[in-house]
Amino acid sequence: MLMFKQVRLSGFGGQGVILAGTLLGHAAIAEGKWVAGSNAYGAQARGGNATAEVIISNQKISFPHIITADLLIAFSQSAYNRYQADLEGEQTMVVYDPLLVEVDQQKKIRQIGIQATELALEHYDNKQAANIILLAAAAALTGIVGREALEKVIHEKVDKRFVELNLKALSLGWGLGEKLTA
Amino acid sequence: MSKANPYRLMQGNEAVAEGALAAGVRFFGGYPITPSTEIAEILSVRLPELGGKFIQMEDEIGSIAAIIGASLGGAKALTATSGPGFSLMQENLGYACLTETPIVIVNVMRGGPSTGLPTSPSQGDVMQARWGTHGDHPIIVLSPSTVEEAFFYTVKAVNFSEKYRNPVILLLDEVIGHMRARVELPPWSMIETVNRIKPNMPPEWYVPYERSSMGVSPMASFGDGYRYHVTGLVHDIKGFPTGKPREAQENIFGLFKKIERGFKEVCLVDYLEMEDAEHAIVAYGCMVLSARSAMEQLRADGVKVGMIKLGTLWPFPRFALEHFLPQLKTILVPELNMGQIYREVVRVNSGQAVVEKINKINGEMISPDEIIKSMRGLTR
Repeated sequence: MLMFKQVRLSGFGGQGVILAGTLLGHAAIAEGKWVAGSNAYGAQARGGNATAEVIISNQKISFPHIITADLLIAFSQSAYNRYQADLEGEQTMVVYDPLLVEVDQQKKIRQIGIQATELALEHYDNKQAANIILLAAAAALTGIVGREALEKVIHEKVDKRFVELNLKALSLGWGLGEKLTA
Repeated sequence: MSKANPYRLMQGNEAVAEGALAAGVRFFGGYPITPSTEIAEILSVRLPELGGKFIQMEDEIGSIAAIIGASLGGAKALTATSGPGFSLMQENLGYACLTETPIVIVNVMRGGPSTGLPTSPSQGDVMQARWGTHGDHPIIVLSPSTVEEAFFYTVKAVNFSEKYRNPVILLLDEVIGHMRARVELPPWSMIETVNRIKPNMPPEWYVPYERSSMGVSPMASFGDGYRYHVTGLVHDIKGFPTGKPREAQENIFGLFKKIERGFKEVCLVDYLEMEDAEHAIVAYGCMVLSARSAMEQLRADGVKVGMIKLGTLWPFPRFALEHFLPQLKTILVPELNMGQIYREVVRVNSGQAVVEKINKINGEMISPDEIIKSMRGLTR
């Protein structure tokens, strides 16, 4: 299993990028790891760039920003364009939504498309679930956090009205990720 | 996965809200502003649960007025804002200084001036915190550099304000306010809290601004039956305006004396790897994170570098620097402003070591690499 430690999630404000990053952090805490992270976003409520950085480690983390990313979860073309150059070598991966991102085929790392938005619309008639589908698929692909921990934090941290939807999205995304690792 | 996980993933602003509650703050008056909004958001839920009061005011002028009033009424009171709101609070900040009303103002600094860079970090309000309100006055300003410190420094800020009857400003930057980290916090029962001293004499004997031997006067809460006068004019010990030079001097000197007495207590400083250091990084707030990372890498390469971490910015902990000056060749001061603490370091240094600065005001952090590069240039 590759060791993924520095994760960047990036897209537009309103897509749930920050929430997905926060859930990832809480899940790693639930597994007893050290976590640090921060978010960057514009002044707009929707539509600006939104980026979450999550660093997961077995030891205390002294610097809360990503130095070199291991995993990019891209929710938009601009996010991919801006951050893909950070990823180099076999130890890195991009997980993206092909509806929103066209990847550079020349890039020699694993780039995995998950039809998150289309699946969310098809299954739940709600594209807001795409963030969890992508996160779950990325987690299943990389092993950065376990499914049980993600389920736990969805129960604890997500608004009650959306727990069920997010659990379904988790299950769907996890299944897709698992299939691709096999 | 253990059942009783003592660790939590917590945001800096969340830690401030937790710290305020643990310290006994039961009143918040404020106007939400990025990047401090989470503090208001969390307290709007938590305070009513604990029997406290949360009020969203019409603006920041009203916000600080509200917490001053709440404090005079006996509550531990706090507000949270960012640069634009902090600017609006300056007039009443002076009022709280002169009337010796304990309040805590949290300023999560963002890029300025004016509306500036709302979601980007800055340390541009260091001098404003010191001198933003007019007139000569002492002030206590604390600056945490981790999520855990955000919790403990908030408790200290409330304690200092109560003990010294003085406004305390907690300066966070956007990085510390918004970063999330694993923390393990003690239960509230383990936390030392300080309450203002109340008068124990009958109301008719109460002289509101007569200082005790500790330099601070007992503070009656409005509604307790103690009648007294509160004014922004320079006043005598009864609280009434005076123009007599002797009484004016006594009033203002008294403000300075009480903080001078507590100087060592209110100066929070940490020393990292300073024992054998020939070079020091002086850092506070988010710059501590970059500096620590840079220090670890430089140490690994054999450079004898340490860090003087300032938790208190005002009063400036000059002794922290003075102690190490004889052994230091160079001092580097990274800041997200044009050099506001750098000038203090130069002043205290008085030409002994070489003092250099790194500054950024474009909304980005100074990275560990930039500090390493600068330090290598200095130590060559």
